[in-house]
Amino acid sequence: MAAAVASRLTAAICRQFQRVVTVSSHTQPQYATQALSKFHSCQPRQMYDSWWFRSSMNNRALHTSCVRKGLEEFFDLPENWGEQTVKSGAPWTAKQLRVKSNEDLHKLWYVLLKEKNMLLTSEQEAKRQRLPMPSPERLKKVERSMKRLDTVVKEREDALRLLQTGQEKGRPGEWRRNVFGKTFWYRFREHPIPWYLNSRYKRRRFFEPSHVAPYTRLSLEKYLRSKIRKEKRDKRNQKRFAAMFPKKTALA
Amino acid sequence: MAAKAAFPHDYRYGTSRPWTIAAQRLNPPGKKRRKVFVEPIANEDWHVLRGDTVEILSGKDKGKQGKVAQVFRRRNWVILEGLNTHYRYIGRSGDYRGTYIASEAPLLLKDVTLIDPTDRKPTDIEWRYTEEGERVRVSVRTGRIIPKPVYQRKDGIIPQQWKDGPKDTSPEDTLQTTYTPSLKTLEEEVMEKMNIQEDRRPRKSYWY
Repeated sequence: MAAAVASRLTAAICRQFQRVVTVSSHTQPQYATQALSKFHSCQPRQMYDSWWFRSSMNNRALHTSCVRKGLEEFFDLPENWGEQTVKSGAPWTAKQLRVKSNEDLHKLWYVLLKEKNMLLTSEQEAKRQRLPMPSPERLKKVERSMKRLDTVVKEREDALRLLQTGQEKGRPGEWRRNVFGKTFWYRFREHPIPWYLNSRYKRRRFFEPSHVAPYTRLSLEKYLRSKIRKEKRDKRNQKRFAAMFPKKTALA
Repeated sequence: MAAKAAFPHDYRYGTSRPWTIAAQRLNPPGKKRRKVFVEPIANEDWHVLRGDTVEILSGKDKGKQGKVAQVFRRRNWVILEGLNTHYRYIGRSGDYRGTYIASEAPLLLKDVTLIDPTDRKPTDIEWRYTEEGERVRVSVRTGRIIPKPVYQRKDGIIPQQWKDGPKDTSPEDTLQTTYTPSLKTLEEEVMEKMNIQEDRRPRKSYWY
């Protein structure tokens, strides 16, 4: 998918499926009523019965529209059915996506999404039939492309927000202390009611109880000790490796 | 998403991939072997790439030149095609002793050197920057730049001979710039283009 389908953007019309059978509405009911009447003439019935069936109030006009529900988009192109491998190009890179406009990125996202749905359907069907899926790397490529697209959009949003408001993070949060005495970045969530009316939120404890306080100091000491040990180990190993692997040129 | 493969700190890396039976035999769960020390080489300083022609400096095939088939960064190993071989039987079953094949043994990085393309002699390599700012390998003796080797991709695709499929975007379309920087978010721009008018005001919500 050297970036799945720009063609699909314009050619939703072009790639239309002629094999879809259209049934025109106005011909159908006549056929239906004729069939019904024929059926009734076969059977020995009294006169008033056939009249009853033929009158307009008991004859709902049968209307069938064409089967254009779009389910064929969940499946691959017909020429790829039954193939063991399907050729696909490279995924979109972030560098290529950065030069595209927001509108293009918006369209590309949905194109990639539909392709991903198609591949997931194919994967599930292959599992059901206990056969290997043809070219599973296509799924990875699509996922990576979508991830990179998301990254590019996030970058643009971040830049705009920094410029206009100076906020570094899009989602509000703050540093809080949890029950175990650990400081962590608590990310805010959106609620319909304020915090003083939220009984479940009030039960959460963002402070350490007094019996946990001694352990904060102990864990800090443990962390510092392990950091110093790592630094000492690295220095010791550097000396050992210098002795074990002397620096000499490859050629004499 | 698949979880990242985790290995114990004293895992001994071999020439087989970790999920093969040979690798499982090399590292059974309860084993404790003498630790193998690997010279720490930074990622930027690694100069032998797959597909390079190198010369062997010590060992059975000293002085011979060969192409690099595989690189093992964990053990600073390099496997050359057809050189430094030992012979073994594979595929034995019952009475049949199997096929007698030559299998290559890995060579340490310090036992191989890259070859200068001008005179085809072994030379030391340094990483230097060109005038354009590109980082390249330069032979110390002659100053010649050693180009990156062309290696066939695992999926057999040759980029110059690629033909786009029905779902592929052509290179021109991919590289075409359509972005004009503006002070609008993606949502605002898309709403403008699609003529969506959003008059509803968002309900008051609380963030905490």
